[in-house]
Amino acid sequence: MQTVLNLLEAEPIRLFLSFGVILFLVLNLAGILTFAERKVAAYIQLRYGPNRVGPRGFLQPAADVVKLFTKENVSPQRSDLWIFLGAPIAMFLPAAAVWLVVPFAPRSVVADLNVGIVFFIALTSIGALGLIMAGYGSRSTFSLLGAMRGAAQMISYEVPLILSLLGVIMLAGSLSFQDVVNAQAGGFWNWYFLPQLPMFITFYIAGVAEARRVPFDLPEGESEIVGGFMVEYSGMTWGLIQASEFASMALVSAITATLFLGGWQPPFPFLDLGNFNWLWFAIKTALIIFTFQWIRWSLPRLRMDQLMDFGWKVLVPVCLIWLFVTAGAMLAFPSVF
Amino acid sequence: MLGEERKTEETTLSQPVSGRLANPDIRDEFGLETIDMNMGPQHPAMHGLLRLILELDGETVVRCDPVMGYLHRSKEKISENRMYPAVIPITDRIDYMNNMAMEYGYCLAVEKLLDVEIPPRADAIRALMNEFSRIMSHIPSLGFLLLELGAFTPILYAFRERERIQSIMEEVTGARMMFHYIRLGGVKADLPEGMPEKMWEYIEGLENRLQPDFIDLIEGNEIFIARTRGVGKMSPEKAVEMGLTGVPLRCTGVEFDVRKHYPYGWYKNLDFDVVTDDAGDVEASYRCRIGEVRQSIRMIKQILENLPGGEVMGDTGRRIRPAEGDGIARVESARGEYAVHVVSDGSDTPYRVHYRTPCTVNMQLLQEIVPGHYLPDIMPIMGLIDPVSGAWDK
Amino acid sequence: MKGMGITLKHLFDKKVTRQYPEYKKETFERSRGLLTVDMDRCIACLQCMRICPDHCISIEQEKRDADGSGKAKPYAVGFVIDDSRCMYCSLCVEVCPVNCIYHTEEFEAQAYNRLELARQFGERPVDPTIDPKPAVKKKPKAAKQAPKKEAAA
Repeated sequence: MQTVLNLLEAEPIRLFLSFGVILFLVLNLAGILTFAERKVAAYIQLRYGPNRVGPRGFLQPAADVVKLFTKENVSPQRSDLWIFLGAPIAMFLPAAAVWLVVPFAPRSVVADLNVGIVFFIALTSIGALGLIMAGYGSRSTFSLLGAMRGAAQMISYEVPLILSLLGVIMLAGSLSFQDVVNAQAGGFWNWYFLPQLPMFITFYIAGVAEARRVPFDLPEGESEIVGGFMVEYSGMTWGLIQASEFASMALVSAITATLFLGGWQPPFPFLDLGNFNWLWFAIKTALIIFTFQWIRWSLPRLRMDQLMDFGWKVLVPVCLIWLFVTAGAMLAFPSVF
Repeated sequence: MLGEERKTEETTLSQPVSGRLANPDIRDEFGLETIDMNMGPQHPAMHGLLRLILELDGETVVRCDPVMGYLHRSKEKISENRMYPAVIPITDRIDYMNNMAMEYGYCLAVEKLLDVEIPPRADAIRALMNEFSRIMSHIPSLGFLLLELGAFTPILYAFRERERIQSIMEEVTGARMMFHYIRLGGVKADLPEGMPEKMWEYIEGLENRLQPDFIDLIEGNEIFIARTRGVGKMSPEKAVEMGLTGVPLRCTGVEFDVRKHYPYGWYKNLDFDVVTDDAGDVEASYRCRIGEVRQSIRMIKQILENLPGGEVMGDTGRRIRPAEGDGIARVESARGEYAVHVVSDGSDTPYRVHYRTPCTVNMQLLQEIVPGHYLPDIMPIMGLIDPVSGAWDK
Repeated sequence: MKGMGITLKHLFDKKVTRQYPEYKKETFERSRGLLTVDMDRCIACLQCMRICPDHCISIEQEKRDADGSGKAKPYAVGFVIDDSRCMYCSLCVEVCPVNCIYHTEEFEAQAYNRLELARQFGERPVDPTIDPKPAVKKKPKAAKQAPKKEAAA
C-alpha cells in the first residue's frame, strides 16, 4: 500500500494520473454542458427540452454518447485521412490540457505553473490548428471556407485576449493563476473586474470568439456554410469536436472566473467555506457559462468583415488605452497597488 | 431553355477568370483563382430545394446562378386531368405557407367563366381567411430571416403564433394547412358558432405580442441592423424592370398592391394602406412585412365588425361545367401577385391551367443582386424574397 | 441588446410545448381525420370513387338483394380506402348522398408497410394497388367539334 502511495507521489505518474482524471472530468463536463445548453435553449424558446431519457431527461447525454459511438464514422472518399482523423484530437487535447493549470480551490491544482497564463494562451492558440486541419482534411468547399474563417478569427481575437490579460498580470505581478487568485482575496470589491472593467468585457467577448460561440460562430456558420469545418464529420469524430467546443467554452468561463471574478474567493469574507471554497468557483463558472448560452440563443451571427472590424478597431484600442491607464495609475499611486 | 442555360454556363466558365474577381488587380500578382461552390439543393437556408451555383472570390460572391426545378410536381398538368372542384386541393399545395390565396386565385378565375353570384358573406369570409393566411405566412418569414442570420429563437416565437392561427383555421376549415375551404361559388361552410369572438380575441392578443416578441427582439438588436441595413439594395427602377411584385417591390418604394389597385372580392369595401419603404434593402423588407401584418390585423377587425349575413355558397349547379373561354384572375398573395389563367373547353376538366406564382419571378433577383455581396449576405437576401419551394417549382 | 431582456423574460414564461403521446391535440367538429365508412348505409353509388382526386377509394360492386325487398340493388362487397394516397380533401364526404363516408377524429395513420395503410371495409378484400379509375378519358376540343362540322356539311 505504502509503495503504491509512494509511486503516486512520483512526479510523472502523478501528472499522468491527474491528467487522466482531468480528461475524464472534461468529457463528462462536455456531456453535462450539452444537456444544459439544450435545456436553456428550450426554456428560452418556450419548450421543455429533452425530458424523456431518465428522470427529467438527465440521462440524455449518456444516450447521445451511446448513439455517437454506434454511428458509422464516414470520411469523404478524397479526404486526407490522417489529417481528417487527427483534427478532432488536435482540437480536443489542448482544450482539455489547459484544465491542468486551472485552480479549482486553494492548493488543488494539478500543476501550479509559475507561467500558468502563458500556458493557457499557448494552448488555446493550438486550437486553431485543429480547426484548419479539419477544414483542409475534409476536402470540401464548405469546410475550407469554415477553416479559413476560423483561422482568421482565432488569430485576430487572440490579440485582444492577450492584451486584456496584461492588466491583471500587472496588478497581480505574477503569471501564476494561484497568485492572481490570492491577490483578489477579501470580498468582491477586491476582484479585478472592478478596476479592469473594460478589460473584463474585452476578455469576455474575445473569449466568446475563441470558443466560437454565437455571435462569433462564423467557422460553423450553421445557416450559410452548414457546419463549416465540421460539415463532413460524423459519429464520434464529430462528438469529439463538439466535446472540445464545450470544453473550451467551460475553460474560457473558468479562466474568466479565475482572473476577474476572484476564482475560489468568496464574495464576502464571512462566506468563507474553508475546504468547500471550490463551490464558489463552480458557481461563478456556471453563471458565466449561462450568460454564454443566453447570448447564443438571443443574438444573430456577425459577418466576417464586421467581425474583423470589431476585433481590430474596437477591442484592441480599448485594451491598449486601458493598459496605459492602468500603468499610469500604478506609477502615480504606487501606495495603492 | 435548360440547354441554353448550360451553354451560357460553359461560356462563362471558359472566359478568363480575372475579369470576374472582386479585386482583379491583385490576381496577376498572386495568381489567385475563384472557387466554385454548389449551395443546395439540400441546404438549410435555401427555403426548400434550390441550388445556387456560386463563384466565390474569398468571401465575395462573383457569380450566382439559381437552378430551380428540384421540387417540380407538375401541378399544371395534373390540374388538366381533374374535375374543376378537385383542382382546389392541388392549388393548396403550390404555396404551402399561404394556401388560402392560392385557392382564392383559382376560384376567382373559374368563377369568371361560371356565371355564379357569390354571396356577400362568402366574399367577406374569403377576405377574412386570406388575411389570416397572410399573417400566418409573414410572421414565420420574419422568423426565417432571423434563423438564417443565426438567431434560432425568433422562429420558435413565430411558430407559436402560427400554431395558434392554425388552430383557428382548423376549427373553421377542418385542416391545419391544406384548407380546401374556398370553393367554386363561395366557401365550404359558414364560420362556426362563437368563432368571430375567438378571432377577435386572438387578433387583439397578437397586436399586443407583436411589439415585444417580434419588433423589440428583432429591431432592438444591433447585430440584426448591422447585418441587414444596406444589404440587397436595389432601385425601384430595377425592381419594376425585373417584374418583381409583393414585398420585394414595395420595399423599394413602388406602391403596388393588387388588393388596392385591382380590387377583388370584399377588398373593395375595406380601408387599408399599402405599406411601402424607401430603402429597398433587407431591413426595409422586414419593416414592410411588419407593416403588412398590422394592416392585416386592421382589415380583419374591419371585416369582423361588419360581417354581412346570409348564405355562404352560391348556386353553381350539381355539375360544374364552365363555359368555353379564358378566365384570368389575379390576387395578392403573401409573396406578391399570384395570377391564374384557366382555359375551358366546356368539359368537366380544364383544358389548361397556368399558375403565375410570384416566387418564380422574384427569384431572378438573386442573379442580379447577389454578385458583389459577401457569402453570408445571400441568406438575408433570400429572406427578403421569402420564396417557397412549392411555389417557384409548382 | 433589448432582445436579451426579452429572451430572459421568456426563460421563466409558461411553456407552450404539447407533450405529444400523453397529450393529444384537441380536435374540432370539422377536423378532417381518417376516413371511415358505415357499410350498412352505403348504396354503392360509386360517387366517392369517381370524385376522389387521388384514386384512393376502390369499390367492388355487385347486384344483390340485400334488404330482402326482392329487387337486386347495387351492393358494395368490397370497399377499400388507401390512406397512403388520401389527402383528406373531404370531397368524397361532401358528395356522398347517404352520408355514409365521414371523417373521424383519428389522425394517427402510420404503419411499417404501405399495404397496411389500405383499410378494408367490405366483406371481400379489394386489392388497393389497382387503380380504380384509369386516367380520365378526355375528349380533345377539336375531336368534339369535328362530328358537328361533318353533320353541318
